[in-house]
Amino acid sequence: MAVKRKIIKERVPTPEMPAEERIKSFAEVNLGYTFELAVKEAERCLQCPYNYAPCIKGCPVHIDIPGFISKLVQYRDDPDRAVKEALNVIWACNSLPATTGRVCPQEDQCEMNCVMGRVGDKINIGKLERFVADYAREKGIDEGLLFEIVPKIEKKGQSVAIIGAGPAGLTAAGELAKLGYDVTIYEALHEAGGVLMYGIPEFRLPKSIVESEIDKLKKLGVKILTDHVVGRTVTIEELLEEYDAVFIGSGAGTPRLINAPGINLNGIYTANEFLTRVNLMKAYKFPEYDTPVKVGKKVVVIGAGNTAMDAARSARRFGAEVTIAYRRGPEDVSARVEEVEHAKEEGIKFEFYINPVEFIGDENGKIKAVKFEKMKALDERDSRGKRKIVGTGEYVTLEADTVIIAIGKHPNRLIVNTPGLKVERGRIVVDENLMTSIPGVFAGGDAIRGEATVILAMGDGRMAAKAIHEYLTKKREGNA
Amino acid sequence: MPYKILEKKEISMRNIWYKIHAPHVAKKVQPGQFVIVRAFKNGERIPLTPVMWDRDEGWIVLITFIRGRTTMRMANELKPGDEILNIAGPLGNPTEMEKFGKILAIGAYTGIVEVYPIAKAWQEFGNDVTTLHVTFEPMVVLKDELEKAVGRHILETVPIDPNLDFPTNMKNVTKRLTEKVRELLEKEEYDMVFMVGPAGDQKAVFNVVKEFGVPMKSDLHPIMVDGTGMCGACRVTVGGEVKFACIDGPEFDAYQVSWDELIARSGYYTDMEQRAMQEYMKALQGGEQ
Ligand SMILES: Cc1cc2nc3c(=O)[nH]c(=O)nc-3n(C[C@H](O)[C@H](O)[C@H](O)COP(=O)(O)OP(=O)(O)OC[C@H]3O[C@@H](n4cnc5c(N)ncnc54)[C@H](O)[C@@H]3O)c2cc1C
Ligand SMILES: Cc1cc2nc3c(=O)[nH]c(=O)nc-3n(C[C@H](O)[C@H](O)[C@H](O)COP(=O)(O)OP(=O)(O)OC[C@H]3O[C@@H](n4cnc5c(N)ncnc54)[C@H](O)[C@@H]3O)c2cc1C
Ligand code: SF4
Ligand code: FES
Repeated sequence: MAVKRKIIKERVPTPEMPAEERIKSFAEVNLGYTFELAVKEAERCLQCPYNYAPCIKGCPVHIDIPGFISKLVQYRDDPDRAVKEALNVIWACNSLPATTGRVCPQEDQCEMNCVMGRVGDKINIGKLERFVADYAREKGIDEGLLFEIVPKIEKKGQSVAIIGAGPAGLTAAGELAKLGYDVTIYEALHEAGGVLMYGIPEFRLPKSIVESEIDKLKKLGVKILTDHVVGRTVTIEELLEEYDAVFIGSGAGTPRLINAPGINLNGIYTANEFLTRVNLMKAYKFPEYDTPVKVGKKVVVIGAGNTAMDAARSARRFGAEVTIAYRRGPEDVSARVEEVEHAKEEGIKFEFYINPVEFIGDENGKIKAVKFEKMKALDERDSRGKRKIVGTGEYVTLEADTVIIAIGKHPNRLIVNTPGLKVERGRIVVDENLMTSIPGVFAGGDAIRGEATVILAMGDGRMAAKAIHEYLTKKREGNA
Repeated sequence: MPYKILEKKEISMRNIWYKIHAPHVAKKVQPGQFVIVRAFKNGERIPLTPVMWDRDEGWIVLITFIRGRTTMRMANELKPGDEILNIAGPLGNPTEMEKFGKILAIGAYTGIVEVYPIAKAWQEFGNDVTTLHVTFEPMVVLKDELEKAVGRHILETVPIDPNLDFPTNMKNVTKRLTEKVRELLEKEEYDMVFMVGPAGDQKAVFNVVKEFGVPMKSDLHPIMVDGTGMCGACRVTVGGEVKFACIDGPEFDAYQVSWDELIARSGYYTDMEQRAMQEYMKALQGGEQ
């Protein structure tokens, strides 16, 4: 299909809620494409040949990107058909496109490599993916596709337990259910979704979307046991007696704290606590919802990843003046570009090269200021390619009545303490098939990577499902 | 995963007893552990303690003291046959079962219901357990059960002074509590003291116990959200290190706990809790018209 295409340099923008309006609510910021706009953007794609298309290479799960984009153009006269065909292409690699379309760092992955970038704007792959998923959901097209899949499933008569209902666990569960295994997810919280539910705020990823993705899994026959904490309610050993294999997708939930005096003062939140109160427990609707949260007038957020942006932008929506304090420079900010831009538009200030050394409280044990040491960067680079930083011996103090610590997380200790499970630096060790040191127990996502991304967790979920399928096939045939 | 309420009764003033079908907890729970309950769709997650359980029949008993909005709503809105939306657990580390010798196990107010399963198990394990319950006169709970379960149960009650508001009134209980502990420690030799109750009372009792140099374990109740080590809300400083009460505790060496920090952290939401309660009372009155 080597059709000559006209080059349209500019991206078709997606409408967004204006900054002054959105800081008053938790409603979604980006409003997404309409079908017409999506087709216009899709038409810009050069349709690089499959073997070559650099966008596919940049995608951690190798979605056939030109493939799905072309369907939107090809069936432009029949939007429902166009979306159905496109969704089918995406689903071959990615079962949560409404989520990844919103939260993937596209600029570092598919879009980073897009050929259009040499002559103009890169194709807006993320927003196109999101459009396909949203349109399909609103029109019930995804359900239709599911109903075509479900009757074809052949039951294998073997069962798998999944620990954690985050992107890794949900993906593994979906793939295994499609292969005909009986799948049960054990989830500690009262709602499935992992970080998608308790961490990422409503204004970036509406919870109703996560819920509908989870509903689809239930339609595939996946059972979800919420309120079940593995390591307490049931152990991995016990799961192995009941199930033929186990997948650990328990994420990296334990917050890292700063080892500095005053860390337990009132008003100092970990990002996890703050975001859990706000997102999962809906504290922004207090007192209609019972869970309180306290956001002062001056909020300091420490860290500069996605978590820090989410915490800062959430705090901003409570009317606070928010500063993000980061010990490195702007080039090392790890959050998605879109989130950093949105944060700036929303009036969030950034202070670079400062590292907290003391939290200063008042007489009631409540935070009132943070003392930082000024840092400077050296030319030398560390193992992650970041410039090394050192203290300068100079200090600054920022006033703060709320502090949110967003400097990273460790895997959940209840899982990591399982006897016989090999763990290094807090992360579960796996072989090339994602099998842990315990035979029949696989793991993926943040539990093995530390903090990573949604799409990498999903990629692990898929890969583990494949490995578990092979493992269980051998087991089945061995037994027969 | 809803959990059905099999029985509900008011066992003394503001103390409500719920027998609930929760087989996954009943199967596993040990003395010293807790659960996180989310009763309503717009509700909070609150930690509560299984007081009794039956592994075969799959039920647990929770006893709540009506304190703020959640415990009040549970008392008002839930009937036998209704369902509680979520009960996660069991959580926290089980109490160590050891031969300590002679144990004084103290419960202030409803804290005694949490002492009950632990004291009972210690007694069965071969310890000589004295339980001490100090509370307001109309709020006595589990008297008969404790008398049956341990070597000796001491009940000390304080009348509610109608002229005093609640926090001021509570000072009378704290006073009686410390006096009684002192009296017991002067008269008898204990190998270990254990306590459940508000942080302020724990600190007051600890200051007495410390004078006698008796080892003391405290069951700490910081504010919690998830109860699985994920949020850090429950952090307490113990021996200079930051610990998470939900996965490292909830029992700690009283000599190592930073009491003032714990007291400050426990009171952080008091103003908002009061507001929530007022709104709830207003809504109730509105609804009755
Ligand atoms: C605030 C925030 C914003 C982020 N933004 C982005 C973004 O924009 N883009 C992006 O790609 N990535 C982002 N990330 C990272 C991304 O969310 C994670 O990499 C991803 O969620 C990891 O998936 P997972 O399935 O491994 O774990 P999780 O999503 O952490 O899910 C783990 C699940 O396991 C459960 N669990 C834990 N322990 C137990 C146990 N013992 N028993 C039972 N269940 C248990 C947890 O409750 C949880 O539901 C963000 C992370 C945070 C915290
Ligand atoms: C491990 C543990 C076991 C517990 N077991 C029991 C029990 O068996 N029976 C019982 O009646 N109570 C128990 N509690 C205390 C119980 O959790 C609180 O009474 C409850 O959260 C109050 O909720 P509320 O909305 O009614 O009151 P609120 O208005 O929210 O608060 C009233 C007071 O309760 C305390 N509190 C509030 N929220 C929490 C929270 N999330 N975690 C801990 N304390 C909080 C605070 O000191 C607060 O000032 C336990 C607490 C812990 C930590
Ligand atoms: S690299 Fe860009 S232009 Fe080429 S197929 Fe992918 S999205 Fe289209
Ligand atoms: S309650 Fe969240 S870490 Fe303990």
